[in-house]
Amino acid sequence: MIRTRGGRLRPAWAYGVAVAFLAAATLVSALVGAADLNPLDTVAALVHLPSGLDQLDRAVLFQIRLPRIVVGMMVGGLLSVAGAGYQGVFRNPLVDSGMLGASSGAGLGATLAIVYLGSAGPAAVPVAAFAGSLAGVAIAYLSGAVGGSGTATLLLAGVAVGLFLTAVQTYILQRSAQDLQQVYSWLLGSLSGATWQQAAEILPYAAVSVTVVLLHGRHLDVLSVGDEEARALGLHPGRVRLVVVAACALAAASAVAVSGLIGFVGIVVPHVVRRLAGPSYRLVLPLSLLAGAGFLVLADTLARTVVSPAELPIGVVTALIGSPVFIWILRSTAAVRT
Amino acid sequence: MNAITIDGLTVDLDRVRILHAVSCAVSPGGWLALIGPNGAGKTTLLRAVAGLLPYRGAIVLDGADLGALRGRGRARLIAYVPQIPVLPPDLTVQEYVLLGRTPHLGYLGSPGRTDQQRAAEASQRLDVARFAGRRLASLSGGERQRVVLARALAQDPRVLLLDEPTSQLDIGHQQQVLELVDDLRRSRGVTVVSTLHDLTQASQYAGHLVLLSDGRVQAAGPPPAVLTQDLIARVYAARVTVTADPAGHPVVTPQRPPPAPPATSAPPGAS
Amino acid sequence: MTPLAGKLAAVIAVAATAALAGCASAAPSATPSATSTSSPATRSPAAAAGSQFPVTLTAANGPVTIKARPARIVSLAPTATEDLYAVGAGPQVVAVDQDSDYPATAPMTKLSGLTPNLEAIAKYQPDLVISYQNANGLVSGLTKLGIPVLIEPAAATLDDAYAQIDQIGRATGHLAQAQRTVSSMKAQIAGYVRRAGSSHPDLTYYWELTANPYYSVTSSTFIGQIVGLFGLKNIANAADKASDGGYPELSEEYIVKAQPQIIFLADNQAADGGQSPAVVAKRPGWSAIPAVKNHEVIGLNDDIASRWGPRLPQLVAEIAQAVERASG
Repeated sequence: MIRTRGGRLRPAWAYGVAVAFLAAATLVSALVGAADLNPLDTVAALVHLPSGLDQLDRAVLFQIRLPRIVVGMMVGGLLSVAGAGYQGVFRNPLVDSGMLGASSGAGLGATLAIVYLGSAGPAAVPVAAFAGSLAGVAIAYLSGAVGGSGTATLLLAGVAVGLFLTAVQTYILQRSAQDLQQVYSWLLGSLSGATWQQAAEILPYAAVSVTVVLLHGRHLDVLSVGDEEARALGLHPGRVRLVVVAACALAAASAVAVSGLIGFVGIVVPHVVRRLAGPSYRLVLPLSLLAGAGFLVLADTLARTVVSPAELPIGVVTALIGSPVFIWILRSTAAVRT
Repeated sequence: MNAITIDGLTVDLDRVRILHAVSCAVSPGGWLALIGPNGAGKTTLLRAVAGLLPYRGAIVLDGADLGALRGRGRARLIAYVPQIPVLPPDLTVQEYVLLGRTPHLGYLGSPGRTDQQRAAEASQRLDVARFAGRRLASLSGGERQRVVLARALAQDPRVLLLDEPTSQLDIGHQQQVLELVDDLRRSRGVTVVSTLHDLTQASQYAGHLVLLSDGRVQAAGPPPAVLTQDLIARVYAARVTVTADPAGHPVVTPQRPPPAPPATSAPPGAS
Repeated sequence: MTPLAGKLAAVIAVAATAALAGCASAAPSATPSATSTSSPATRSPAAAAGSQFPVTLTAANGPVTIKARPARIVSLAPTATEDLYAVGAGPQVVAVDQDSDYPATAPMTKLSGLTPNLEAIAKYQPDLVISYQNANGLVSGLTKLGIPVLIEPAAATLDDAYAQIDQIGRATGHLAQAQRTVSSMKAQIAGYVRRAGSSHPDLTYYWELTANPYYSVTSSTFIGQIVGLFGLKNIANAADKASDGGYPELSEEYIVKAQPQIIFLADNQAADGGQSPAVVAKRPGWSAIPAVKNHEVIGLNDDIASRWGPRLPQLVAEIAQAVERASG
């Protein structure tokens, strides 16, 4: 009933599981934190019932913790959808949301802002990272999207552009070592300092990019039979790739702008979703959005409680969880693929 | 009137001319088989008709020049099945066959009830409906071939382009698939253009043969006219005898060359 | 976080501030906190004589109003902690960060000024927070919680350091004692300079922040200015590029060729790199340096050398001692 004969979850159940996971992660995250808010009072305050939280506690809950959870949901969802979208475009399960120079472009943008903009640097970092991320993907796309040559060239161009941009960033940092700590702490990714304003700022980009990607789920399914057969079915593979890559780049850039570089979310979440619900992108994309949001909220909860009051960089937490999960996926899918 | 007329088709790939002004035609509901040695340009011809290659010359379908049709328009008329289709292993048969409805959906559209119906009908027709929920990777070679045909059928095409539809199958499945295609042709009036490397099969199923070699038409016509001993010897450099089966279709039988004369010294122990 | 990391962070913070000062060419060289050393005009006109609150101060994060005498102060900066206790606000301090190790009686916690955790800070229910940098949205976060915060960044000049002590005095209701502390510091430093002499154009020095790679300071930095009180020449000045912000990296060859007469080690404590005078003397090729030959390699108290608080006279005393020995 819940599973099909092939072992997949039926769509309705898959959505149910994803939503439940997200809800649970959000609730847990809202209840724990360094400020030790009383759980019952917290729940009461969240549903606008009279609660025992004093004014400072309420401010902590609504101004510090909640925006962090919401931004975490957005970033997790964006990175997962972008990763899933790229995996569909490239028909390659090892692709991450940072591909095609998106991560390295963002890193270089942030580095340039921190090193050369002095006091205006920290405020300019999100915009610089956003612009850098998009520029990285644009350069990779222009270099690699040789007409009709398929995806391998594009991927390789992305790798080359990524390495180049990272090298430039390293060079700049070497010349200005006093900015090292600031840049690397941004590179490691963090949701601390998340605000409602950040959420509002990335919302339009997030909404547009996610909508566009979700609308192309069916197209990615058609692309899964290869460029030639897809064309014979009436699709324009190059055009679909361009649209989806652009939307995924926008989604990833929006996420990176507020949170820095957080790896593994874009690879791991879509794979877990696929294992549970099957390979059709019409399901994988929206489920990745939900599951990715929950995953990052969970990771952030761990990041800010395990060594409280210090925080683990969230990129460390996602990698620590992500690596074993990833290896497990590789091993189990290799076994099945006979 | 001919369903498909190909006139002066010239295709260059990587600056090498693959097809030299090839012309041929097939009547509506007919079966045109492209035969010829390896590298003759048969697959290239099919791909040109499918719109997957740039070409010069004219391809006319039911009086309309296909060159003006792109993308979905073309895919609604022509279904192309490559020799080795890509079958995503984790997709189910149902999802895969449904992909055939792509040309009939709008850009942002999704499959509706009609589409589901057509896909289901196609699956029934090809006897793969009972595999609907199974993963493609779990099917046998013959079952997969039928699934791919089902997808092509779900496109509701007027023309079916098949590239070596039997090359991966055993003799029993080969017959099964060819019978199915012939049945489709007769019951729905679908025009079939296929490449076939088995000359006898080509003569049994196709009403019209085109023999290609080095990108040029060497002969065209009904099977008895094309499948002659001399022509085959010249084009294929093969020794064959051509007889006829009870229905009159040419049967091409390969002949082994006579054994070489014995060596001058007798083998040890021989008298 | 180890003291080394904390010190490196402080150095980087100092460097960053200096870089800011360098980049903003039109900006005055003093940090904004210097402006609060001025007249009672900075005090709210409603303040009655004798009552110091409410008070509006101008810190690096702009104007900050403290409505009443703070009773629960959280300090996230080692220098600020020292300042607080020097002006007599110790009893009002409820938590200090993990690097604030002086005085030992300060209530040290695991809080961090480098990566502040807003929720953890809020748990102490502070009515004033002092830090040295606005990291992780500290200022906007605390503002949302209604908690006043003073950002007292690394001092660029001695006057900045005095101004910060003055400001902390005002912020905590101890202006008189703050001013006394500052006068005392000034007097002590003046005394050391008088005794050791303020003109030694023939004496060159090398100030080591880290070894491998070798980072030093130029005369334009805070430290450089303090040593400059004695008129010594800094070998790092020639190596400084605009992008270094006063903290150039020197090669060993450069240092040896510059032949400094005095070497100050700000990394000699074990936790900061353990580059003690003995270790330095053993570095290959360094025995040719006059400072090493004449045993004028001085290991400083690394903490004091990386802060800009009330113990500065101690640092000046150590430097004065070295100068006197080297010149006489």
